[in-house]
Amino acid sequence: MDEGHLKQKLAPTQKPKKEDGFKEFLYNPETGAVLGRTGMSWLLIFIFYIIFYIALAAFSLLNFYLFYLTISVDAPKWTMDSSLIGTNPGVGFRPRPDQEDSTDSTLIWFKQQDPNDFKFWSKQLEEFIEKIEEIQKDAGDDKTHSCTLGTENTTNRNKSCIVDLKQLGPCTKENDFGYGQGKPCFIIKLNKIYGWKPEAYGYKDTKSEFNQELFERDMKREQGKGMPEDLARHIKQEVDKLDRKRDALLLRRHLETVWISCLGENVADMENVGEILYYPMQGIPSYYFPYMNQKGYQPPFIMVQFTNPVHGVLINVECKAFAKNVISERIARVGQTHFELLID
Amino acid sequence: MSAGKPNMGRKLSRKSSYVFENGQIPGYVHMIRQASRTSSMVSRTTDPEPRESYGSPRVSRLWKETRQPRTPATPEPPDVDERTPLLLGKTPKKPDTRSDEEAKAESVLADLRKELEMDSHKISLDELYTRLETNPENGLSNRQAELHQSKYGMNLLTPPKETPEWIKFARNLLGGFAILMWIGAFLCFAAFAVQNATKPDAPKDYLYLGIVLASVVLISGLFSYYQEAKSSRIMDSFKKLVPQHAQVIREGSQLSVCVTELAVGDVVELTYGDRIPADIRLIESFGLKVDNSALTGESEAVARSAECTHDNPLETKNLVFFSTSAIEGTGKGIVVNVGDKTLMGRIAGLASRLESSQTPIAREMDHFVHIISSVAIFFGVLFFIISVAMGYSWLDSAVFLIGIIVANVPEGLLATVTVCLALTAKRMASKNCLVKHLEAVETLGSVSVICSDKTGTLTQNKMSMSRMWYNGKMHAVERPDDPDNEGLSKIIVGDPEFMALATVARLCSRAHFKVGQVGIPDALREVVGDATESAILKRMETLLGNVEQYRFRNKKVCEIPFNSTNKYQASVHCNKSDCGSHFLLAMKGAPEKIIEQCSTILINGETKELDEQCKAEFKAAYEELGARGERVIGFCDYRLPPEEFPEGHLFNTENPEFMSFTFRFVGLISLIDPPRVNVPNAVRTCRSAGIKVVMVTGDHPLTAKAIARQVGIISPGNKTLDELAATQGVPVSDLDPSQVKVAVIHGSELIDMDEEELDAIIRNFDELVFARTSPQQKLQIVEGFQRQGTCVAVTGDGVNDSPALKKADIGISMGITGSDVSKEAADMILLDDNFASIVTGVEEGRLIFDNLKKCVFYTLTDNISELTPFFLFILARIPLPLGTISILCIDLGTDVVPAVSLAYEKGESDIMRRSPRNPLKDNLVTKQLISYAYGQIGMIESFAGMLTYFVIMSENGFLPLKLLGLRSQWDAQQINDLEDSFGQEWTYEQRKRLENTCSAAYFVSIVVCQWANLIISKTRRVSIFKKGMTNWVLNFALIFETALACVLIYTPGMDVALKMMPLRVHWWLPALPFAILIFVYDEIRRLIIRKFPGSWVEEEFYY
Repeated sequence: MDEGHLKQKLAPTQKPKKEDGFKEFLYNPETGAVLGRTGMSWLLIFIFYIIFYIALAAFSLLNFYLFYLTISVDAPKWTMDSSLIGTNPGVGFRPRPDQEDSTDSTLIWFKQQDPNDFKFWSKQLEEFIEKIEEIQKDAGDDKTHSCTLGTENTTNRNKSCIVDLKQLGPCTKENDFGYGQGKPCFIIKLNKIYGWKPEAYGYKDTKSEFNQELFERDMKREQGKGMPEDLARHIKQEVDKLDRKRDALLLRRHLETVWISCLGENVADMENVGEILYYPMQGIPSYYFPYMNQKGYQPPFIMVQFTNPVHGVLINVECKAFAKNVISERIARVGQTHFELLID
Repeated sequence: MSAGKPNMGRKLSRKSSYVFENGQIPGYVHMIRQASRTSSMVSRTTDPEPRESYGSPRVSRLWKETRQPRTPATPEPPDVDERTPLLLGKTPKKPDTRSDEEAKAESVLADLRKELEMDSHKISLDELYTRLETNPENGLSNRQAELHQSKYGMNLLTPPKETPEWIKFARNLLGGFAILMWIGAFLCFAAFAVQNATKPDAPKDYLYLGIVLASVVLISGLFSYYQEAKSSRIMDSFKKLVPQHAQVIREGSQLSVCVTELAVGDVVELTYGDRIPADIRLIESFGLKVDNSALTGESEAVARSAECTHDNPLETKNLVFFSTSAIEGTGKGIVVNVGDKTLMGRIAGLASRLESSQTPIAREMDHFVHIISSVAIFFGVLFFIISVAMGYSWLDSAVFLIGIIVANVPEGLLATVTVCLALTAKRMASKNCLVKHLEAVETLGSVSVICSDKTGTLTQNKMSMSRMWYNGKMHAVERPDDPDNEGLSKIIVGDPEFMALATVARLCSRAHFKVGQVGIPDALREVVGDATESAILKRMETLLGNVEQYRFRNKKVCEIPFNSTNKYQASVHCNKSDCGSHFLLAMKGAPEKIIEQCSTILINGETKELDEQCKAEFKAAYEELGARGERVIGFCDYRLPPEEFPEGHLFNTENPEFMSFTFRFVGLISLIDPPRVNVPNAVRTCRSAGIKVVMVTGDHPLTAKAIARQVGIISPGNKTLDELAATQGVPVSDLDPSQVKVAVIHGSELIDMDEEELDAIIRNFDELVFARTSPQQKLQIVEGFQRQGTCVAVTGDGVNDSPALKKADIGISMGITGSDVSKEAADMILLDDNFASIVTGVEEGRLIFDNLKKCVFYTLTDNISELTPFFLFILARIPLPLGTISILCIDLGTDVVPAVSLAYEKGESDIMRRSPRNPLKDNLVTKQLISYAYGQIGMIESFAGMLTYFVIMSENGFLPLKLLGLRSQWDAQQINDLEDSFGQEWTYEQRKRLENTCSAAYFVSIVVCQWANLIISKTRRVSIFKKGMTNWVLNFALIFETALACVLIYTPGMDVALKMMPLRVHWWLPALPFAILIFVYDEIRRLIIRKFPGSWVEEEFYY
């Protein structure tokens, strides 16, 4: 009998290898494999994936390039209601609290006595104005022109209206925008929406004539939705200044203004906020609309100054824009904006 | 014998006592560990038994020689108490760290694994009475009975400790991905709490998301709990076996006592028809016969008497066992064991205590969950650290973590897998495979070894006549065309020799047809009587017809019933003959007994002297039949001389005078339980599918081997060592065991083997038959195979199979003949008792594994495309391209039906021609699958999604370069005038609407890519053009997925509910080129895999 052969044959063969665990996976001394692969294997798979991703990225870029041919660089493909931006512009304000601190805070809090403290705020306004100045400088005279309500053809693709930075009253850089005096200024601006222009109260549509009855109705409705009495009165006064027939065009242009009003949110806030002044006027004139991504277009804005706000009290301020086609919604924050003011 | 005893006649046994046992060791002698472990097999070869006829003693002896000599070297005295447990390795010798309770449970299990040890049947009755403080006349006193009840316990089977429902439920709520999801949900609630604390009107997004995540976990937890709740009710069926009342003698009077109150020492009266109420030692027996089929699987009624005939409690005649049934006669005995201590209690205890191992698919799912969870945790932690390092706030970082977890976890996949398994289970049920646990559906596909019981599974469990030997020739009874029956003569009805044999066969029999079965084919008529006689009766009825009438004409006038000493049975019938004799004696019995009684033989119609030549022929025929494992019966007749036995002679049964004559030998009839018709085919299919079929039976080695040959478990031409030795004419010891591939192992040899020896046998023989195995040994064999890392299926139908069924990776019981206990222990039930159904099961199991792989691939692919947006969100600081809710819409919405539809895929190639999967290597989720799904297809989908995102952003005004780094401003609620590339200023709300639109578009582009992905998932190797699109469920899924996506984005109100926004039609398009790319890319990959087998591409990307 072949004893040796027998032993070999019948010797307990290796039991199925149990997983020798993580260690072997990390480094297998037998095959020299690291993380389950040998160096060569790693190299091959690495090269493969590099080529694969380069090819895939190239394929995607090609696709995107083909798509890019279908869109214009001047105007968004979809505008107004076709776009998700819609036709209801938001209202923006400056200065804004530090985003890094908190993404959803709207508290403007400064120490009147400490220039280093309020500088943070006034500097933002300064930068905003400097930016407009820069646009004005870049655009040059052939792209911009001063506009009045009477100017014909104010809006076209080539020329845009100048925002006059000289009529901001006391809200100037030199004056620290009133922050040092406890009479802070705020920039209130309307969001740019490509192709959007305000609709006027008292007109059925862009073609029709002024209708006093409709105007009254519109004003009443706006007042019901929060247009302050004095603004309504102001608009009516402005309208009454103009002759319905003679100044028909001017009247329309004038009524196409987006009116802006800032108020304390609650009764207490209204008291605390004190007197509010608007520079250069309590609205954004129609000649800045529509925004068509014009060269040298300067975002229109107004300055709102609180001349005697109560110190040491948090004041909730709400600024609303009013036009026939601006619908104010507090939750969606369109047509209005909100911030808090605290002066120490 | 009535229908009231369901186990009756269920099993047939070779072990009819009057039948020649072919010199084999009787029954279960070797089931208990006998004598000394050191008495090596060498000494056993001196046994009178001709063991060379089956292959293994020699083999196991060789094992002994190869291992270390045992100590002590001297044989131990054959002392019962010295027996060592069967499974030495299993005796718990674990460190003390375990609690006492665990240790106790383990030692109970180890104890149950041992064979039954007792001596109550051996000691003298007086000693027994003393020991049990009882008395055969008066029984126990009531007080003693109570005492014994408290001492030995009630006669009840203790149910195993059950895990409380709430723990099971809790496990389901914490298993799989649940922990990760809980973390996600917790982070959501935390994020909401933080937001809510800082701002009174904080958005409730995170609260909703947290609730959604928690509900997903809860619902899928409930789903799997429900699946699990159909838990094993194994003990219930044991309870059903317990008889209701027993006749007991207590304090001298007989009373009927509830079985549970039976105490050790009680004197019990047994009558036919009773279930045996406990393990009882007989003190009186009047022809008591019991059916032990519930224990042994062999349903031949066995006679029981008061004498101790064997050391082995299972073999001795003076013991009857709990839950078996008394079939004939009456008896009286002393209860020696009750409840869990009984033999049945031990098997039940063993079966219910065994923990069935985790199913392969469960292992695979665990593996998969591990991988995916690791990836999720890795990315989650990595990006948490990165985002904290990048200066994001803790809250933001936690929110990112939620996104990464939600993107990484395929929330719907586990439920999908369950549905896939359920669908297959349903399909299998329609093919007569009833699956009890869903996971078992796949298990059968992983099986590499099937341990099959013989009786009732491979065979028909119905004795039938196989051959007749008369007139010096062998005759085939059935199927004369069968190759097995080549060279045999055909039966010619009417031959005088045949008629002589048939006459005896018809007359000398106690079996008879049940009355009132008119018009039923003979084969189906019910017969009352033992299996052998019934088989002969039925065959005679078909061959000659009208047996009953014939019997009526030849009235029985005297009968000598069978007894185990004589091993024959004779009857005298009125039968007038030409020579004037009035009576015919018909006799049958063990052939060697019959031939002893004969002096003449019927050859060619003439009665001849039974000379040496005739005897030699008889011997040759007898041995030939014996070697086939058949049960052989000899027949002889004799005409009683009219002088001594005139008409009307009255016979004295007690002392029959005719037994002094010598008779005329008329022939032999052999019977076998034939294999089922389609079993050989099924075995062949299994083998070609790489599955080893092993026979594990309680039956006789020779029968086992013969059946194994017939069904192909032993292939033709393969010989055992003994057979080889016989053909070569050399002693067994001169042969090298490695030459043979076949072994037939006797249960008695298993007793002497330790684990290593058993393992060596399992490894070294391809074709194995285990015969005469006890329930514990069946278990041992299954464990032996499992130690080799194989996945084992066990088929069986008896109580004795139940421990093995429970332990097996998949236990398969028989729906018709299977005992309740075996059905309970099994994972699958073959409703038609047909072994061939297993093949269906294997096929379905393999198919579902393949399809699950496809399903997992399909589902995992979009994980990466759900993850990339987060990476870019954090690293490139772009607005979020894909929201968490949208991810859930994919994972729990559009992906589900397509994934399930992959379960309906047909196989790619002949899955029954490849080997079973290697559980160590062929995982459900492999490196290749992850690499291909995540690294390639998933990335293509990501690019598609990102492209769509940039397209929509660009069309609305945000060109890609503008988006880079825009995130913090984009997400700042205070910024109400964010400028885009065209100078438009967007409020926070407007931006979010745009973002949600992008998210919806990204979602749509994933859906579009998943179209292609679903189609490529259909096939892993062949071209889709070859595979075709004939899976209509899948085609429907494509449409359904798209329709669902449309519903999700276009239904009004979805912008609020799911943050889905309606899309322009052309926003569906940017993903299309990528979908085509996926299709083409995968078609190329498969082409390379087909054309260059073994290439780098196959190695890396064939999943």
